[in-house]
Amino acid sequence: MKHLSTTVLKDCTRISASIDRVVAPTPAGRLRAFVLHPTHDAGRAPLVVLHGISRNAKELARLFAPEAARTGRRIVVPHFTPNRWPHFQRPCRAARPDVALAGLMDFLATQDAAFARPAQIFGHSGGAQLAHRFAMLYPNRVARLSLVAAGWYCLPDDRMAYPYGLDDKNDRQLALWVRRHRAGLARFLSIPTEILVGDSDTDRDESLRQTSDLDVVQGTTRVARAATYAEALRTAASQAGVSADVTLTALPGVQHDVAQAIRVAGLARHVAGPDLFPFSQAV
Amino acid sequence: MTRFDLSQLTDAKWTFSTRRVDRAVVAAGDTAFDQARPGDLILAHVAELGQHKRVQLTSGRPSFIYPGDAVVLACGARYAPDQFEGIAEIDANGADLLAGGGCIGRMVARNSRVRAATRLIPAARLLDDAGQPVNLERFALQNTTRAQDIPVIAVLGTAMNSGKTLATAQLALGLRRAGYRVAALKGTGTGAFGDYNEYADTGAHLVADFTDAGMVTTFHEPLARVKQGMDRLLHHAAENRCDIAVMEIADGLFQRETAQIIADPAFQARISGLLFACGDAVAAAGGVAELARHGLRPDALTGIVSCSPMAVAEAEAATGVTVLRKEDLADPAEANTFALRALPDLRHSA
Repeated sequence: MKHLSTTVLKDCTRISASIDRVVAPTPAGRLRAFVLHPTHDAGRAPLVVLHGISRNAKELARLFAPEAARTGRRIVVPHFTPNRWPHFQRPCRAARPDVALAGLMDFLATQDAAFARPAQIFGHSGGAQLAHRFAMLYPNRVARLSLVAAGWYCLPDDRMAYPYGLDDKNDRQLALWVRRHRAGLARFLSIPTEILVGDSDTDRDESLRQTSDLDVVQGTTRVARAATYAEALRTAASQAGVSADVTLTALPGVQHDVAQAIRVAGLARHVAGPDLFPFSQAV
Repeated sequence: MTRFDLSQLTDAKWTFSTRRVDRAVVAAGDTAFDQARPGDLILAHVAELGQHKRVQLTSGRPSFIYPGDAVVLACGARYAPDQFEGIAEIDANGADLLAGGGCIGRMVARNSRVRAATRLIPAARLLDDAGQPVNLERFALQNTTRAQDIPVIAVLGTAMNSGKTLATAQLALGLRRAGYRVAALKGTGTGAFGDYNEYADTGAHLVADFTDAGMVTTFHEPLARVKQGMDRLLHHAAENRCDIAVMEIADGLFQRETAQIIADPAFQARISGLLFACGDAVAAAGGVAELARHGLRPDALTGIVSCSPMAVAEAEAATGVTVLRKEDLADPAEANTFALRALPDLRHSA
């Protein structure tokens, strides 16, 4: 497990980014988002930042703004509001956050073609749930995955029934979703994927789904489940004949708190990637 | 060549099947109707209203027609078991409006539940300044070998009105929502704007049909020409940077041209996916069996059968093939399963 530096970021504000608020009319309903536009364009894939159950999109937009400026990347922070999106962690009969997210990107692409490119998807907690499921359904739209502290995962194998895995238990409704997740499995497994989790994110609090099957197969904590998922991805990729690019990274001293991970462990900087102008000085 | 007043053409109702025609090409007309070939443009006047009380205009809207109206149509045959069977022949004393999209010919059979065809009096076969008949083929998309092949999902069905057009449109919608540039194409049939407009309404990035390939109808056309027409449409889609195409093949599996197409090894090799529309479970079983006889197996069933949960259960039990409703086809997650099977590997770069 790789450990990130805990160096606190210094803003590089001379190269700036503007923040727009948009409301996208998508086939699954309206979806709000913050869109960070850097003044300099790096020509890289857009970065989508998915919040967790605290729905702190505004805070994430503020925390990622320096990264948009520093890297020259467009960054989109959807806001699944509780009234309109009581369920946003995974596509199901009750809600289709996957369709909304795809619709949001299509909407943005009508104004800026760069948003039509496959995106890097970052998600924390419930956002990581949506991120990896979105990538399974639409691997054509995802360039890279950064999954942080998901409570549990959809394993890319049949050890568990859907939505924990890809066994359909001969149930027609499950079979429909399993088929959709399996259709692009090989392509999904080829997506570069980084799994991150705070090394202190070990509480079995009420926000962590706890079932005996889940505990046995995926582990009892987010740290254990992240490791299980990373290994499951590598194994599935090997069985599919796909060259996997999966890393597992511990965030030292970080609990289940994305703002803490960004401030203390430099998570946003790490995810957003290298500077647009690597030899320029931050001011 | 007969001199006639060209101003008649300005006032005439130009039908949908003539939409690609450069009207400036028309310089004259003759009355050699016995020499009319499929695709030749005919100026005719409405004599007596029958089944069709409207024609479809090039503008994409229907127009009521009245006795005496001048209409420009293309000579052609018609295969429509719920309306007419017709052939591409024109009698100077009177002809039939075989399709509202703009097909004039001779009706040889009709469904007993519909009225007789609207009667037309041919006025002229339209000619260019060299005295040559003006034919739709002249204005067709040109074939090209520059464009790369794009994957194509074929939509077949048991018969007219089994749900093929809706399935084609909804799958195109789902693929667009999944992030692809989509072409919605109609490979065979008789020219009409209903299907064309239904495709266009989905926001498909490119819509075209066999009339764009120079045919008012594919009925009675040689297989080689029908296939060439489909190739032209697919090349056109590729040239327009479409990632994937959904192509409807009209009518039922036993229709002459459709049967030839599904038996054709080149067609079988060309398609990347197959959707089959049918009305009930028995039709599903029969269709799947007939396709199997040609070595084909649909990826999914759809159509009228999907409206009934009981019929769905029976069809799936009888065939082992999943039945998809129109909402499923329009669902980007479902539509993407077709694309992911069809498209080559994608590169990832962040």
